[in-house]
Amino acid sequence: MSVETVEGSAAPTPKRGVSILFGLTLLGLLLALWLALGLATNAFWTPNNISNLLRQGAMTAILAVGQTFVIITAGIDLSVGAVVGFTSVIVAWLLAAGVPLWLAVVATLLIGVLIGVFHAFGIVRMGLPPFIITLATLTSLRGIGLLITNGSTISITNEAFTNFSRADFLGIPSLFWMVIVVAIPAYVFLHLSRFGRYLFAVGSNREAARLSGVNVDRTIYLAYILSSTCAAFVGLLLASRIGIGNATQAEGWELQAIASSVIGGTSLFGAVGSVHGPLLGAFILATINNGANLLNVNSFWQRIITGLLIIVIVYFDQLRRRGSR
Amino acid sequence: MTRGALRAATGLDATAGGEEQAVAALHSEEGNMTGLHEISHRRDTELKTAVPKGEPILELRGLQKNYGAVQALKPASITFLSGEIHAIVGENGAGKSTLIKLLTGVIPRTAGEVRWCGEPVRLASPNEAIARGINAVHQEVVLCPHLSVAANMFLGDEMKRNGLMRKRAMTGAAQGVLDDLGFNLPADATLGTLTIGQQQLVATARAAMRGTRFLIFDEPTAYLTRQESTQLFRLIRRLQNEGVTIVYISHRLEEVFELADRVSVLRDGTHVGTRLIGETNEAELIALMINRTIEQIYHKEHFPFGETIVETRGLTGPGFSDVSLSVRSGEIVGLYGLIGAGRSEFALGLYGRHPISAGEVYWQGKKVEIGNERNAMALGIALAPESRRDQGLCLNLPIGLNINLPVFRKLTRGLTINRAEEAANADRQIRDLQIKTPSRRVLASAMSGGNQQKIVIGKWLSHGAKLFIFDEPTVGVDVGTKAEIYRLFARLLEQGAGIILISSYLPEVYELADRLHVFRQGRLVASHDYRAASHEEVLAQAINA
Repeated sequence: MSVETVEGSAAPTPKRGVSILFGLTLLGLLLALWLALGLATNAFWTPNNISNLLRQGAMTAILAVGQTFVIITAGIDLSVGAVVGFTSVIVAWLLAAGVPLWLAVVATLLIGVLIGVFHAFGIVRMGLPPFIITLATLTSLRGIGLLITNGSTISITNEAFTNFSRADFLGIPSLFWMVIVVAIPAYVFLHLSRFGRYLFAVGSNREAARLSGVNVDRTIYLAYILSSTCAAFVGLLLASRIGIGNATQAEGWELQAIASSVIGGTSLFGAVGSVHGPLLGAFILATINNGANLLNVNSFWQRIITGLLIIVIVYFDQLRRRGSR
Repeated sequence: MTRGALRAATGLDATAGGEEQAVAALHSEEGNMTGLHEISHRRDTELKTAVPKGEPILELRGLQKNYGAVQALKPASITFLSGEIHAIVGENGAGKSTLIKLLTGVIPRTAGEVRWCGEPVRLASPNEAIARGINAVHQEVVLCPHLSVAANMFLGDEMKRNGLMRKRAMTGAAQGVLDDLGFNLPADATLGTLTIGQQQLVATARAAMRGTRFLIFDEPTAYLTRQESTQLFRLIRRLQNEGVTIVYISHRLEEVFELADRVSVLRDGTHVGTRLIGETNEAELIALMINRTIEQIYHKEHFPFGETIVETRGLTGPGFSDVSLSVRSGEIVGLYGLIGAGRSEFALGLYGRHPISAGEVYWQGKKVEIGNERNAMALGIALAPESRRDQGLCLNLPIGLNINLPVFRKLTRGLTINRAEEAANADRQIRDLQIKTPSRRVLASAMSGGNQQKIVIGKWLSHGAKLFIFDEPTVGVDVGTKAEIYRLFARLLEQGAGIILISSYLPEVYELADRLHVFRQGRLVASHDYRAASHEEVLAQAINA
């Protein structure tokens, strides 16, 4: 039975307008948080704390952008936290083996690409649900990393590498610059190129996309490769920041990334999402953690607050969407 | 029970042989066919307020439904008589589904009155409708495929003892009903393993068990085989004999003449008339349904045929085998057959969606291996698939993105899409096809069936092709849009394209196709030139009667 929907009278608000509006609301929330924290504690608006906040948020933000590509195709990548830990081990291991820095970085990123290829292969060729294949890599990669390090950590002695995360450029932490380095091409890719459109189409209706000539398999490969590569990149940043390679690092970061993405307006059902949304989402989460630390809120409470916040934001987002239909 | 009571019970039908029928009916109610109503142990007392056969049981008085500014059902006054089979016919979009939804309490009415057994009722929710004994069997079965037949039949009304389900008792009772109906179905089978037709029968048995007094069938035979349809008709007649009032919605007129006592016609949301079945004929009903002659809708223009665009030789793949046909420029090739006859599968095979296991495809005289959809598009094949919802559209994305989806490659300049061209192309298709939307940014899901079909077509017009495959292009599309789509065919032919038109609606392919191929069970079984065979012949070939 065809649904007799009425056009015109109840038409939804134009999509792009909504996403800009939502972006502004999130930006408003972020600024409100900053203002409130500035009033509540003197320690917030100090250069030291701000650059600390930017560093904290940067890594989640990059993971969230990669995650968003996957979620838009109506998939999920649970492995990103494990990939971060694993690639921190890889780069530390390569540097310890005397591999030149540039080669170690390129090789680590390539490993990220390969992990993405493996995920997409499992989904496209073996027909596994994304949840399952990435859950499997989550646990396996931690295992492989622990095998390589024999359960311990590998220290990184390359100073050029470890100094990078502490450096500033134009007074802004280099880690935050990396967000910009990722976000600009990501924006061009998702919102301005045809491949971005294909991600949305595949997430909305895979069969319709296929019959319209979209190479669905390649699109899925692309999404998972981008997600894993972003994770490998974050692995490099993390290794640089803490100066070691350790397979158990970044525990639970996949959930942080998914939460940032969802707070940023991405729909877990696919076909809805942006690049700026998850970035704001990641910094909102970072601000809450940062503020809670400054206000001496028990870190257990931080987790509870984060959970409540996800419910509230996504609930209001859905209300708004329904209201606009 | 006296003869007088019998007469009263049989009412209008007491013709020459009426009395014996009535006796048989009553006998069956009391005797061996106790089954259906007694199984139900949750019969509300109000269900027992009997309305004598032939008296009004449900009356609509000025019943009306608006969606915003659109009148889906204009004020309609129809009376349903107790114990009759009342057919409702009309084109897609005539308001039949709106009427069912109103009667089953799925949507609220805008205005008007519904009287049930003489009392005004609100029918505010499906539960209220069911409690009063009004039920519907839908075209697409809405049961739980993972549960057993018995569990489905008792769903929401399970037999319980001390809060625990009496599974064995339910299976036994359900089996009793199925056997009694002559359905030869195991009650403990998982529903999903049955054919759609069998599931339909289960759904009907389920409705019959619940003390239903008013049962609406919504195009129940759409997916049934002939044998299954026969079984269903037998069941419907039997329910009638037990005093159930039947509303039978269909656009297959032959079924209406076979089953119904009276027939009401809807057209564009208006109730245009009710006839006793003996006092009308097919021509009158068609005239009422479409209010214009067939020639006016199927505006057929003949164009000179050009070169052969595509030719298949013995093409075989999943769901079709050994199909040989060709399409010339300026020609409409019609593929007729029942649902599941292999026409759509053939189209998907030709388009590269499904693998070809044998046979060849020649494109403009050259042998080609198509292999995937992108190669098909590159050759110049366009496919507007059967299901807009599942295959045609990205419903939760904007109209503009849907229209441009096949042509993003052409719209790309360097790394990025040229947004001005993207917008211009979408707006051009929206304008040319008169898609009724305020903006290209509106989501495709907000559009009506006709406009959604135009979006699918718009995709392929912007891509451009030599061969257009339209698979059921007018299902769920109103008459006006239909005529627009047919005019569009003429425009494409004039530009030298060829068209494969797949339809389960015989008049459509019959009137439009220059050459008509009939499919049955995955094979091409007959071919006719324009209007060379009669409707009856073509139909007989499709169903092998």
